[in-house]
Amino acid sequence: MKIIKSIYLVALSAASLGVVSCGASGDDQGLEYAPQMYHSVAYEPLTQIQNEEAGSWLSNREDGKGEFFNSNVHNPHNMNMREPVANTVARNQYDMLPYRLKVADLEGANAVENPVELTDQVLADGKRLFTQYCSPCHGDGGQGDGKVGEVIGGVANLTGGAYINLTEGHIFHVITHGKGRMGAHGSQISPERRWKIVHYVKQEIQKQ
Amino acid sequence: MSIKRSLLSVPFRFCNMALIFFLLIGINAFAADPEVSDSEEAVKAGESLFNANCKTCHKLDQKFTGPALRGVSDRRDIAWIQAFIKNSQKVIQEGDPVANELFAEFNNTVMPAHPFLSDEDVMNLLSYIEFGGKEEVAAAGAAGEGAQAGAASGGVPSEYLTIILAVLVLVLLLILIVLGLIVSVLSKYLNKQHLDEEDKEFINQKTDFKKVLKSDAFVIIITALVVALVAKTAIDGLFTVGVQQGYAPTQPIAFSHELHAGEKEIECQYCHTGVEIGRSANIPSPNICMNCHMHIQNVGGKEGVSPEIQKIYDAVDNNQPIEWVRVHNLPDLAYFNHSQHVNVGGIECQTCHGPIEEMEVVRQHSALTMGWCIDCHRQTEIKTAGNEYYDKLVQLHSESKDALKVKDIGGLECAKCHY
Repeated sequence: MKIIKSIYLVALSAASLGVVSCGASGDDQGLEYAPQMYHSVAYEPLTQIQNEEAGSWLSNREDGKGEFFNSNVHNPHNMNMREPVANTVARNQYDMLPYRLKVADLEGANAVENPVELTDQVLADGKRLFTQYCSPCHGDGGQGDGKVGEVIGGVANLTGGAYINLTEGHIFHVITHGKGRMGAHGSQISPERRWKIVHYVKQEIQKQ
Repeated sequence: MSIKRSLLSVPFRFCNMALIFFLLIGINAFAADPEVSDSEEAVKAGESLFNANCKTCHKLDQKFTGPALRGVSDRRDIAWIQAFIKNSQKVIQEGDPVANELFAEFNNTVMPAHPFLSDEDVMNLLSYIEFGGKEEVAAAGAAGEGAQAGAASGGVPSEYLTIILAVLVLVLLLILIVLGLIVSVLSKYLNKQHLDEEDKEFINQKTDFKKVLKSDAFVIIITALVVALVAKTAIDGLFTVGVQQGYAPTQPIAFSHELHAGEKEIECQYCHTGVEIGRSANIPSPNICMNCHMHIQNVGGKEGVSPEIQKIYDAVDNNQPIEWVRVHNLPDLAYFNHSQHVNVGGIECQTCHGPIEEMEVVRQHSALTMGWCIDCHRQTEIKTAGNEYYDKLVQLHSESKDALKVKDIGGLECAKCHY
């Protein structure tokens, strides 16, 4: 009787200890309740398992690969995401055509006009976007005193004499393609958002 | 007397010589063209010009994006300086050897033209460059110390609590020991007195531990405790199945959010560009890293290229993707959209992702369970102000006592997330 009792006890504590190790920590993802639900069969943009063996213990795939494998073998580096086909144009709510001026055509940019109408909402958006994308280097007031800018050095003081009279097209061109020590931000910020930033820089930071 | 005098005079002469020596050094270091005025007015005018137009690339005594400037009026002609400041590219293209050498030394970094500066402005600038900014070094040092002192005095020192606890435990232990001593001293003293048998037995009684261990009450209490503990750990453990809270995988590059988002105050959206416009927040591509890291090659101002930053360069050079490990993963049965929450709902990233700006390695902060989602949908009020979309809903809801919450506009509908 006593032996059976102690066996029960040991078994119960072992089971509980086993369950304790189900939680996630560090590199351990923890026990998954329904692995097929956590590992998408469809190609996902930000989840990618390259190992063809992964999850083969529960796989019933016809191609014999592991259940978790979800990379696109037809793409370079087996990536799931690809760049858009060359010369395709994304539709946008402003009916804006792609910006075609090349890096070197800074002079030509002066003639480009801001297609986004200036409203209070646009200015508010511009302020928010400026804080997100510009202020790390240019500082909240555009004086080139952001915390990252201090490390990089050579950040333009947007209120300085060399910059204060620049055209809106020039500012848009520089955000898009970069200039001097500034990198190109065209891939990060959509054109209409860039134009909103231009409005904010002109109206609020440079007060013009 | 004469000996004493000569002994005194030797160090005195040394002093003199040292003084002259240092004076000479001083003069050498701050040599300036005599045309440059050292009047306070000119220095002040120069300072504001310098801060507005030069500061981000030039320091007075230190090489930065451009050369250190102090002593420039000694090194070059005033006319050359004026021409270079007003349009450096023109001077370089005219084939000036000094200008071309400088341009090459500073990696062909173009200095913007400053045609709006008058000759007088340049002279004021030179006054500041040669004679100004000397207090700044001292002030910067003092400010640094002040900031450190401020940081030390602010915040609640959590380690103090541990120390207080430890001291309390120590005091309790000491009291126990003292009490034990008193008991033993007292019993020894009483044993020496002439007492009845009964009293003696009372003094010398011993606790019978074996009897206690075997008593029914003890066994029942211990068994109940063990069973309760085991049951609790088992239930707790079962609740962590399928919950990846605390998952903090090692990433291919030891990227620190603490450094980038915390110390350098870069907004989340700078890198996670999709968070306001799409379902996923997006992991930045290396070209976004390179916006800064083409200039920043190491941390903390160290020389050389950091091995972690080198990995970005390798990825860019070889056009090879960086295989980051996904931290937050919802099962396929649930749909989640970042833009709906961040852009429409106006929720801060930290609400779900925790103090990301303090994380050296990113950790899943929230449980991401359905209960967790529903809980927030029940409590969160909707920001309806200035949004026409909600006008009718607000009108319909106006009879209710509670504020309009996410649950009232379908935040608990199954098909919102499961379809």
